[in-house]
Order: sequence, then structure tokens, then C-alpha cells
Amino acid sequence: MAGPDAWLLAFRSAAVARSAAPGQFLLVRPPDCSRAMLRRPISISDVSGDRVELLFRVAGAGTRSLAGLTPGRVIDIIGPLGSPFDIVPGPVRHIAVAGGIGIAPLRFLLRRIRARRLPVTLCYGCRTKRELVPHCAVDRIVATDNGSCGIRGLVTTALSRAVDSHPGAAVYACGPWPMLRETARICAERGLSCQVSLESRMACGVGACQGCAVKGTGSYLTVCKDGPVFDARTVDWDQEPPT
Amino acid sequence: MSPAAGKRPVDLSVSLAGIRLKNPVIAASGTFGYGTEYDGLAAEFGAVITKTVTLASRPGNAPPRLCETASGMLNSIGLANVGIDAFISGKLPALAGLDTAVIANIAGDRTDEYAALARRLDSAPGIAALEVNISCPNVNQGGSAFGADPAAAAAVTAAVRRVTGLPLIVKLTPNVSDIIPVARAVEAAGADALSLINTLFGMRIDIERRRPALGGVTGGLSGPAILPVALYHVHRAARAVSIPVIGLGGISSACDAIEFMLAGAAAVQIGTATFVEPGTVRAVTAGLEAYCLRHGLARASSITGRLLA
Ligand SMILES: Cc1cc2nc3c(=O)[nH]c(=O)nc-3n(C[C@H](O)[C@H](O)[C@H](O)COP(=O)(O)OP(=O)(O)OC[C@H]3O[C@@H](n4cnc5c(N)ncnc54)[C@H](O)[C@@H]3O)c2cc1C
Ligand SMILES: Cc1cc2nc3c(=O)[nH]c(=O)nc-3n(C[C@H](O)[C@H](O)[C@H](O)COP(=O)(O)O)c2cc1C
Ligand code: FES
Repeated sequence: MAGPDAWLLAFRSAAVARSAAPGQFLLVRPPDCSRAMLRRPISISDVSGDRVELLFRVAGAGTRSLAGLTPGRVIDIIGPLGSPFDIVPGPVRHIAVAGGIGIAPLRFLLRRIRARRLPVTLCYGCRTKRELVPHCAVDRIVATDNGSCGIRGLVTTALSRAVDSHPGAAVYACGPWPMLRETARICAERGLSCQVSLESRMACGVGACQGCAVKGTGSYLTVCKDGPVFDARTVDWDQEPPT
Repeated sequence: MSPAAGKRPVDLSVSLAGIRLKNPVIAASGTFGYGTEYDGLAAEFGAVITKTVTLASRPGNAPPRLCETASGMLNSIGLANVGIDAFISGKLPALAGLDTAVIANIAGDRTDEYAALARRLDSAPGIAALEVNISCPNVNQGGSAFGADPAAAAAVTAAVRRVTGLPLIVKLTPNVSDIIPVARAVEAAGADALSLINTLFGMRIDIERRRPALGGVTGGLSGPAILPVALYHVHRAARAVSIPVIGLGGISSACDAIEFMLAGAAAVQIGTATFVEPGTVRAVTAGLEAYCLRHGLARASSITGRLLA
């Protein structure tokens, strides 16, 4: 357990660890497949050596059955899948914006940014202090709904302050749709690079079924293949949240 | 045909609508993209059926397009596809290199659109057969589906038959009170084989948001939940026509596939099960072989129709 609702699942896989890049995900087969048939997409939350971590919130039957796994069990995964975050080159500050369980893929991104000794700030929003989950220690601004940790209010308020003190920053975000939309707006206003990790229900995970489509500014985009990480300017932010 | 056929104790190959498949397990339309998305998997199938292609590209329905249900799933993809031009120039070349038979699935809003598609594909290289999807709305018929009306189903089949020499497989919908009149009408109009079933109409509602669970409001149900319904239709249709029937709907194991073959299917298709386990095709071909050995059958094709009354 990594918080009231959050679970950390660690396993060994040299193949996944070798090829995984931050922002990519796995399709995980729920171990109790009588209640959840389709595989669930879960971000790769951290990799060190051949140890791979997933961090997830129990949302329904599939994630509940994953949370029931006991040590020593084998898990059935496909991946790494999807297109990863692209760490922007050049002498810029990197700002990761996490909302709730959206911290999951950003933990891995933060590790890779730190490994390159690049300057980084994490803006991390949660409902309460209890929900904050572990991540690599970096310069961070926490925001909680009730002020139980860090500033009281929205993580996007923290982001506005961060980008204003770091002109030209590159922003990477994962979290609820309204948070991502506001993050995209803040970045667009200032002409900053902004990459967002989106969610959608999935079936194939490899671009074969068109089931995970979200509206882009031009055509539909597949979250599993074109994403899950998108340049925020290519997403149509006026659509209904896709999940 | 297949390179391994000589070494196998059991011959898995089947002949169907004039084409020879190295095994009777086919990837179902819409679940296997344009053949290349699942890396290396196409070659395991006897044939691959591509996503329904229409004359013009279609964006598809508003999200969410998927919703899991008890032992199944609903989809409202909405025939999202690249359109016939991009299919021929952009998708067919890669399909040709896949070491499996390629079957192109087509659909239109009107009979003449089906004929136009068939004409284009007739001269395109690398296509073994056409699968005609007649379960989409028919604007000529005031919104009913071609596949629900024997006369309309026959008209589409005949129109396609007139313009192509390719083997014609017509894919039927289970959303009818009796599949036999449609099956017979399509056979009489020149179909070489039937595929059944396409998805069943279905719906779920998100009660908190008070919205349909799918952006397209209703969707198509697939997966293990529909297997008994599919088997029922295959069993009846196979007895009513003399052309081969390809069975699908909820197949996720060799045992499931053998049930369809015993009921009269000459081959089977795998759809939703590939999402859950991409290796399903391998398990099904291996299980077919084991079943034949156990029952002293030299070839898988002799399972077809062996159900004892
Ligand atoms: C690329 C990607 C990466 C993800 N990474 C993580 C992660 O690292 N940690 C984590 O906790 N969650 C992650 N998710 C979300 C996770 O996939 C869903 O929470 C999970 O599929 C829900 O399955 P369930 O059976 O538990 O719930 P269900 O019973 O299927 O659904 C419960 C609720 O969750 C919503 N939901 C269903 N499927 C999804 C989905 N694919 N995405 C978002 N909401 C969904 C439903 O609309 C419903 O409201 C990710 C999703 C995507 C697309
Ligand atoms: C996501 C999805 C997309 C589909 N798209 C098509 C399609 O484009 N054309 C078609 O003829 N059938 C389509 N189908 C139906 C399948 O080919 C098949 O008939 C049906 O899913 C039943 O088989 P299954 O239970 O093995 O999936 C689709 C099914 C699914 C699940
Ligand atoms: S989940 Fe099938 S295309 Fe993305």
C-alpha cells in the first residue's frame, strides 16, 4: 500500500526494464479475470535494475484484483507500449505536474531527468497529505485541497508560480482531465512546451481496434499508439473527458 | 500448403470459398487493424481480415468507444477507417508481406458503394477474398440494416458478385429474428461463404453521469458472453446452406473453436480474445491438432459438421 487508495506493485522483468521509457505503459491482465476480462493499462512508474514498479489506485474490479496480488505471484503483462515523454533538450528547467495518481508515470520521468542532472521541479497536487505517495526527492511544490500539506488549492496555481519563476521551462503533466486542460492553457499562454499523458479505456493497446481514440485538433488520436503522451497543442481540450 | 504441413501429424489446412488456408483460425475484422499492429502475429493465422474499409475515410464515433461488460465488451468504434485509397496505397503493401491470406472487409451506406469498393479491390494485388459486412445502416432502406433484410442482403451480394471474381464471404448480423432467410438469400445471390456472427446490439449506462456508457449511445457486444448465441446461429445456418460457414463470436480457446466446427463451421475467427491474450491463435491451433490426434483424425477439416444429432 502506498496511500489510502494507492498500491505499489513491484516485479522483476529484465526485458521491460531494459526497454521502458518514462510515459510508456503496460497492459496488465487482472489476475481474477472472471470479474475483469480486458487488460488494464498501467503506467510504468519506476525502473531500477530489473525491478519495475507500478503505482495504481483501485478504481474498480480490475485494479482491485491487482491489489489482491500476493508476493511471489507471476503477473501477465504486455509492453512497454505507447510513445513516451520526450525529455526536451537544452538548458531549460523541467517541470512535472502531477494530480493524484497522475504521479505514477512522472516518478520514472523524474528519475531519468535527475540521472541527466537537469534542473527539475515537481508540482504535485492531492486532495490531502495522506494521499501523497513517495517519489524521488526533488525540488517540489505540493498543493492539497485542504492545505494539509503545502499550499492550499490547485496544483495548477502552483504551476503558474513555477513557470513564472522559470521562463522557458518544459512542462510534463499527468492527472485528471481538468488539471491537464488548465496546464495546457497555462503553457500555451506562455508559449511553453507541454507534454500531457492522457487516459482512455483500452482493448488492444497496440493501435489495432481504434477503441481508445480521443479527439485531436485534427483527427482522432489513439491513446495507446499515438500517445499516451501527447504534445498538449495536438489535443482538443473542448471534448468530454474520454474516460 | 504451409511449410510445416509435411511434418505435422495432423493437417490443419482448410479449403474455403476457393482459397486454401494453412489453418482454420482467422483474425476477425476490426480486432486486428490492418494486420501489422500485433508484431509478428499475423503469420500464425490462416488468414487475416482487415478492418472494414469504406469508400471515404471515416473518423469513427465520439469517445468513449469501449465498455467492458460481464464476460464481454461493447464497442462503438463506428467503422473508423482510412478509406479505400489509403487502404490500397498505404496498408496493402505491408499486408502482402505477412505470410498469411489477406481478406479485405468492406461496407457502404448504399449497394453501389459496396460494388465500387469491390471493383477497386478486384484489381488490387495481394487480396485472397472479400468479406462483405452487411450489418451497418442502410440509408436506401430507411435506416434498417442490409443484413436484417434478405432482399437487401441479396442485392448487395449480387452487386458485388457482378464486379469481382474474388471469393465472396458475406458477414451476417445476429440481430435478426431468423438468420436462415438471410443466409439463403445471400447464398442464392452468389456468396461463396458466410461469416457469422457480427456483434449483438447492446448498451450500458453510467448512472452517476446519467449518460450512456458509450459515446455512440449503443454498441456491439462481443466476447465470451455471446458465444452461445453465435453457436446457435452457426448451427442453424450451416444446416440451411451448402456454402461453407465461418463461425465466430466469443471464441477464446481451442475447445470453443471445436464446438463451432462440430456445429458446422469450416473455419473460425478470433476477435475479442486476441485483445485479452494475443497468443490465443497459437493455443487454438495447438488445441485443434491435439483434438485431432486424440480422436484419430488426419485433418482438422474433418471436425466440421461431425456433431452427433
Ligand atoms: C496509458 C494509461 C496509463 C494508466 N496508468 C495508470 C497508473 O499508473 N495508475 C493508475 O492507478 N491508473 C492508471 N491508468 C488508469 C487505469 O487504467 C484505470 O483506472 C483502470 O483501467 C480501471 O480499471 P478497473 O477495472 O479497476 O475499473 P473499471 O471498473 O473498469 O472502471 C472504474 C472507473 O474507472 C474508469 N476507467 C476505466 N478504464 C479506465 C482507463 N483506461 N483510464 C482511466 N479511467 C478508466 C471508468 O470509467 C470507471 O469510472 C492508466 C490509464 C491509461 C490509459
Ligand atoms: C473493437 C471491435 C471492432 C470491430 N470492428 C468490426 C468491423 O470493422 N467490421 C466487422 O465486420 N466486424 C467488426 N467487429 C466484429 C468482430 O469482427 C466480430 O464479429 C465480433 O467481435 C464477434 O467476435 P468475438 O466475440 O470473437 O470478438 C468488431 C469487433 C470489435 C470488438
Ligand atoms: S486500445 Fe486498441 S487502438 Fe488503442
